[in-house]
Amino acid sequence: MMSETLRQSLDLSIFWEYRATLAVGLLQNLYIFLASASLAMALALVISLSRLSGKMWLRAISTCYVELFRNTPEFVLLIWVYYVLPILLSRLLSTQFSLTAFVASVLGLGFAYSGFLSETIRAGIQSVPRGHIEAGVSLGMRERTILRRIVLPQALRRMLPEALSQLVSLFKATSIVSLVAVPDIMYQVSMVNVDQMQPLPLYTGAALLFCLVIITATQMIQILSDRWRRRGWA
Amino acid sequence: MKLSMDQPVSQSRPIVECRNLRKAFGANEVLRGISFEIPSGVVLSVIGASGSGKSTFLRCLNFLEQPTSGEVFLDGEPMGIRLGKDGRFTRDSPANIARMRAQIGMVFQQFNLWPHMTALENVTEALRQVKGMKRAEAIEIGRQFLGKVNLSDKADAYPARLSGGQQQRVAIARALAMQPKVLLFDEATSALDPELTGEVLDVMRALAEEGMTMVVVTHEMRFAKDVSDRVIFLHEGLIEEDGVPADVFGNPASERCRRFLSSVVH
Repeated sequence: MMSETLRQSLDLSIFWEYRATLAVGLLQNLYIFLASASLAMALALVISLSRLSGKMWLRAISTCYVELFRNTPEFVLLIWVYYVLPILLSRLLSTQFSLTAFVASVLGLGFAYSGFLSETIRAGIQSVPRGHIEAGVSLGMRERTILRRIVLPQALRRMLPEALSQLVSLFKATSIVSLVAVPDIMYQVSMVNVDQMQPLPLYTGAALLFCLVIITATQMIQILSDRWRRRGWA
Repeated sequence: MKLSMDQPVSQSRPIVECRNLRKAFGANEVLRGISFEIPSGVVLSVIGASGSGKSTFLRCLNFLEQPTSGEVFLDGEPMGIRLGKDGRFTRDSPANIARMRAQIGMVFQQFNLWPHMTALENVTEALRQVKGMKRAEAIEIGRQFLGKVNLSDKADAYPARLSGGQQQRVAIARALAMQPKVLLFDEATSALDPELTGEVLDVMRALAEEGMTMVVVTHEMRFAKDVSDRVIFLHEGLIEEDGVPADVFGNPASERCRRFLSSVVH
């Protein structure tokens, strides 16, 4: 028999009560996710191509980049970008320089995940058989055309499941931006909690909400991408 | 006194000419000085044991491998290299190498069709991207060449849905659609099940009859004997035997060639 207090604390209706505030918070997570995912993917493409480049120095730089960002915790990176980077830039440019918490979050998460994603893209590119490239070469195609028309379209299909799981991690990682006071869902939850003193239903609700959003999104993407990937690989 | 190395002018200038072609991978010298020329319309078969340098030789012709030394000429134009002001050859620009490669078709052992494109898209891709054709024009030509290899009904099929023989025929159509001056075949039937080699060999035979200039690296002695105008036997990176099929197969001068043929012809 459940005690009255336990039943009360598991009553998620308070989460529903504050849905408007919490939705505004979740929207912040989505914005940060979209911005940092775009940044991460753009950087990752450049880095992965550099890692496969024929130029030694380019490979060296990009390898250092990947190792640095893959092995630094997102949280440390976020704090560093938010607090340290502005000081560094201010001294370097000798002007006052500051980043909003939102921009710092996008940069921090974008950098962090570009490291992981670039390795995924690199593996995808390397999985394209040498012969497919040679077929293009022998027909007189230039390097850039081969990359754009033959290598990347195949690499993208092959790396999709892996990239998807990294994007899921990125979305989950957006929950740390509340620590630099971006008004995201975790931030809103803690604000409501200060008022209501009901951590159990509020944080449980937040956890379930993240779960729900991610499962829904990945299921949808899976269905769409499977249909696309299956073309030509049946 | 010799003024130049130029050969006397012949009526038909060779489509492909090799002069003292050498290729080494590190210390391993795979080609050790190969010279020959192929006039227009000639089908040349290259035979030899595995490791004799056949494939490397073929890949040097379109510069998929850069020769260590020696020259290849396509229709009189040096392939992949350029004569500098100092009288020495240097590597040509990527644009020029690509332009020359577009005139040489190549068919691979593993077909190498692009799996994310349909048969028709495989054929039209280079027409669009290299020749800069409009979509409609490329499709028209693509269908025409798929028809030529008897695959009109498979235009919209992805390679994974095609048999090995069908894939190789699409690959031939892809190379042909560029209207190359010469077509290179790198063991085009070796990856096929025995019952599928026939359909590919039939297409190759038809091309030979139309007067296509072809260099065919092959294990199909029957094809080399029946279809080619000339046969070269390679041994350890050198041309060991060179002649018309009747002589090479009937009465080879080289003892090695004789032994090789008796080991493969039953």
